[in-house]
Order: sequence, then structure tokens, then C-alpha cells
Amino acid sequence: MLRWAAIAAVALLLALLPLYGDAVTIQYGINALLVAVLAQAWNILGGFTGYASFGNSTFYGLGTYGTAIAMAQFGLPFWTGLLLGAALAMLCALLVGIPILRLRGPYFAIATLGLSAALSALVANLDIAGRNIGLILPLTRNDTLFYEASLALLAAATLAVAWLSASRFGMGLIAIREDEDAAAVMGVNTTLYKVVALVLSALFTAVAGGIHAYWITFIDPASAFDSTLNVRMVIMTVFGGPGTVLGPVVGAFILSAIYEALASSISTAAALFFGIVIVLAVIFMPRGLVDLGWGFRRMGPRYLLETVRQYRL
Amino acid sequence: MLFAQILVNGVLLGGLYGLMALGMALVWGVLNIVNLAHGALIMLGGYAVYFLFTGAGIDPFAALPIAMAGMFCVGYLLQRFLLNLIVRSALLNTLLITFGLDVVLTYLAQLAFSADFRTINPSYAGANFTLGGITVPLARLAAFAVALLLAGLVWLLLNRTRLGRAIRATAQNLVAARLYGVDPRQLYAITFGIGAALAGAAGGLYGVVAQITPYIGTSLTAKSFVIAIIGGLDNPLSVVLGGLVIGIAESAGSLYLGPTFTDVISFGLLVLILVARPARSLRTA
Repeated sequence: MLRWAAIAAVALLLALLPLYGDAVTIQYGINALLVAVLAQAWNILGGFTGYASFGNSTFYGLGTYGTAIAMAQFGLPFWTGLLLGAALAMLCALLVGIPILRLRGPYFAIATLGLSAALSALVANLDIAGRNIGLILPLTRNDTLFYEASLALLAAATLAVAWLSASRFGMGLIAIREDEDAAAVMGVNTTLYKVVALVLSALFTAVAGGIHAYWITFIDPASAFDSTLNVRMVIMTVFGGPGTVLGPVVGAFILSAIYEALASSISTAAALFFGIVIVLAVIFMPRGLVDLGWGFRRMGPRYLLETVRQYRL
Repeated sequence: MLFAQILVNGVLLGGLYGLMALGMALVWGVLNIVNLAHGALIMLGGYAVYFLFTGAGIDPFAALPIAMAGMFCVGYLLQRFLLNLIVRSALLNTLLITFGLDVVLTYLAQLAFSADFRTINPSYAGANFTLGGITVPLARLAAFAVALLLAGLVWLLLNRTRLGRAIRATAQNLVAARLYGVDPRQLYAITFGIGAALAGAAGGLYGVVAQITPYIGTSLTAKSFVIAIIGGLDNPLSVVLGGLVIGIAESAGSLYLGPTFTDVISFGLLVLILVARPARSLRTA
């Protein structure tokens, strides 16, 4: 009960940020919130089923392009564009999910990476998508709107994951992660479950992409299908705790804060530090920040030694 | 004639690709680590050869063994004191830690060597000869030959030596290999060291035929990954064959479809192969 009250208080504090924060804080907030949405969306498939997707940037790109094409080429309103982008991404997830989700482990990961590279090249050769030059969206200077929309999206994604972790569907996904063959034997329709998880993941990723596109007002293939963005989703989720409800959000907030704080001084040092944080995080908390929190409460600093002992050769 | 030229270009390029993928396939097959820092190791090897050539005036091909020895040490230490700590955890974690290493190595290289483009440019860099109307660049031919030689040496090492037998045994069954007296910590470190040495050699050759920057790692990792999967993880010679397939497909594709499509071709091929024959790829993993 106390936990829920704390979460609600933090959410309220975040929602009221435009009232007391300055412009830079709000802009930083939009970025952090959208990245947190991406991490949470990645968590739906990657955290729960253990299928590490490196193709979520595909859905992000489709979301941005769907929104941008609707607004820049057809003059449709923003919300219609978002819907179109989300529909495109979900359709893509459905169509490619069925063949690609038969692959396991690194083979799935790399197939999704290939998909993202292929779509990026495809978009760069389409007239309607502005080819290599990209598209310019109508300008709207209303950061409060973008901030609240991003926050609402993050809330929706987190609620969806909270529902997942308590539902029969979520249990099925976890069963797939633990042992896919056993899950199939127990009557879990593994293909259906994985495809639904991917489609859900695509939905949130695409909407985040659409909001970002309208906020930045300019998109091109390189930024829309940026594979490093996908890597960030993975890192933030794994840092926070894959398969947990709040882990990806906490991981995204902490890592964005570190990154922003360093990037404002020296960008090379920031990237270097980011790499070192990842290496240390994997060694000392291979099951994420949330697990670290539980472990510390249970056994204190001994937790660090115990995890290292468990996974070392 | 044009097609024959493309074939030659593709084969020469493909041999080098095969060498790049060789180290990755070895580490993946034996240690079950998909090393995302492999491209960064290739990049470091490239810089090692570059500085041996420009600084000490050593011919790049003579500098290769020195660079390989240095990279072996780097790889050995990385595995012995860092990656061995995490090697038994989930695949996602080893992916992540090697990604972190990739970032660290890339930006260390940027701090140390700056972001300038570098080319290893010996006097014979532009030399070529024509055979039946087909132009063969000498440096690329030599790089191809070295790549084949190294692949052959790895095959000999794996199949004809005691160390190779221990490596193969560990790949098949860690516990059983341990019972027969293999020290896995040592063996893992040596295997990773060999992988890094091969990456170093590939980097040196890459520097002769193309340009080195701190950022070449990521795309070379992706390419190596694709080739390792196409070639399979158990035989070094089939990895080289995978490299040839990709090399020919890329040089043909860049002519007929345009150079922006080279990455799409290799990834497209990969997805097709994975989806069409997943069972085979899974068994070799």
C-alpha cells in the first residue's frame, strides 16, 4: 500500500513538473520519459520472454515515419498520424513476428537487427518518405503538451506491464523465458503469445517515435532507424531489471540522468563512462537494479560477492 | 568480363571478411559469447599495424605477427580477468558486457588516436597486375592470401594439436573437459586471446585495403556475426567460405543495385538463411 502511494506521489510530482520546472528541465524530461517508454516496451518482449529484440528501432522508425508522412505529406492532424504510425508498426510486428519469432537466442536478435537495417534502406529510397533527405513536420512550440503526452504514454506502458506481470498471459510469457519447450507442453500457445507480446511492444515503441518526431519536427532515415537507440533500450531495461514492472523505468531515468550530466561537459568522456557503467553493472548486478535492491535488503553487501561467485567460471 | 572482375573483387574482399569472422566464430563456438567488441578488437589491430608502419617503419605484412601477439595479450587479459567473471550467466549479459567493452574501446581509441581517417599506405599500395583483362590489386591479393593462410593455421591448430583438442573438447562439454584435466579459466582466456589475435590480423589487413577510424568496429562486428552464422561455428574453413559468399554478394549487389545496398544485402541474406534453415543454425549453436 505504502509502495503504491509512493509511486502515485512520484507520478503526481512528474505530472506537475511543467508548473515548476524550467524549459531545459522539461525538454530533458521529454527525452527521459520517451526513452523510458522505449525501455518499458522492450521489456514486454525482451524482459518477459527473454527474446532480445534488436529490431525495436524498426517499430520506432515506422512510428516516426507514419506520423511524419501523415502530417507532412497529407496534412492530417497529429493524433491521426500517431494512429497511422502505430498501426503500421503493429502490422509489421505481426507480419515479421510469425516467421522471425521461430528463431531463438542470438539468431532472433540478429534477424531483428537485419530487419531494421533493411527497412531503413527501404525508407531512404521511397519518395513519399522524403528519401535520404527526410521530412519536416509542422512546427508546434508546446513542450508542456509533449511532456504530458510522453508521461501519459509511459504510465500506460507501465500499467500494461503491471497487468502483464499479474496475468495469465504474462505468466505464459515468463514460462516461455524459463523453458519454451516445457511451456508448449503445458499448453501455452507459444507462437501466439510471443507475437502478441511483440505487437504490444511495437505499439508503445511506435507511439513514442511519433511523439518524438512531432516534437523534434524533423526526421531522416538515419535517426529514425538508429540502432544505437535500440541498444539503449536493452541496456536500460537490463540495468533496471528485465521482467520487472518498474525496473526499466528506473534504469532509464538513472542512465539518462548520468548521460545528460556528463554529455553537457565532454561527450567522449560521457560515452566512455557509459561503457564502464555497463561493464560494471553486468558484473555486479547481472539481474538488474531491482534484484540488487532485494538482495541488499536480504543479505547486505554480501549480495555483490554472491552474484559474482554465481556466474564466474 | 565485368562479371569476372566482380567475382575477383568479391573473392578478394570475402577472404578478408572470412578472417574477420574467424575470431568471432571461434569465441562464440567455444565460449558461447557473442562478442560485440570483436569489431573494436579489429579496429585496435588496425591501429597497431598503422603505428608499427608509420612509427617504426615496419612493413605492414611483417607487422602483422607483432600486432597479433599484442592483441593476443589484450584478449587473454580481458577474458581472464573480466569476462570469466560473467561467462556462465545469461546470453543477454555477455552481449551487454561486450557491448560495454565495445563502447569503452571505441572511445579510448578516439581519445588516444583522434577521429581522423588513417590508411596504411605502403609503397606497393596502388600496384596491380592484369590477367586476361581482369585487374588484380596486389595489396588485396596479399591480404587475401594471408587470410587464407591464417584460416588454414587455425584449422591445423584446432584439429592437429593438443591445445586444439582441448578447445574442441571444452566447446562440446565443459564438465567432461574439466574432468580430463583442462583448466577452463586458462583455456577460455587462451581461446579469447586467439580470437583477438585473429581480429588484430584482420584489422591490419583492413587498414591496408580500407580506412581505419575508431568507429569502424560496430559495422565490422555485424558483418562478422552474419558471416559466422552463414559459415557455421565449428569449421574455420567454412567460415572463410561464408566470408566469400558475403564478399561476392556485396560486390555484385553494389554494382547492380547501388553501393547503399551492401548492408541490406548481407542482412537480407542472413534473415533469409535463418528463416529458411533455422534448424541447422540452431544445432551448430
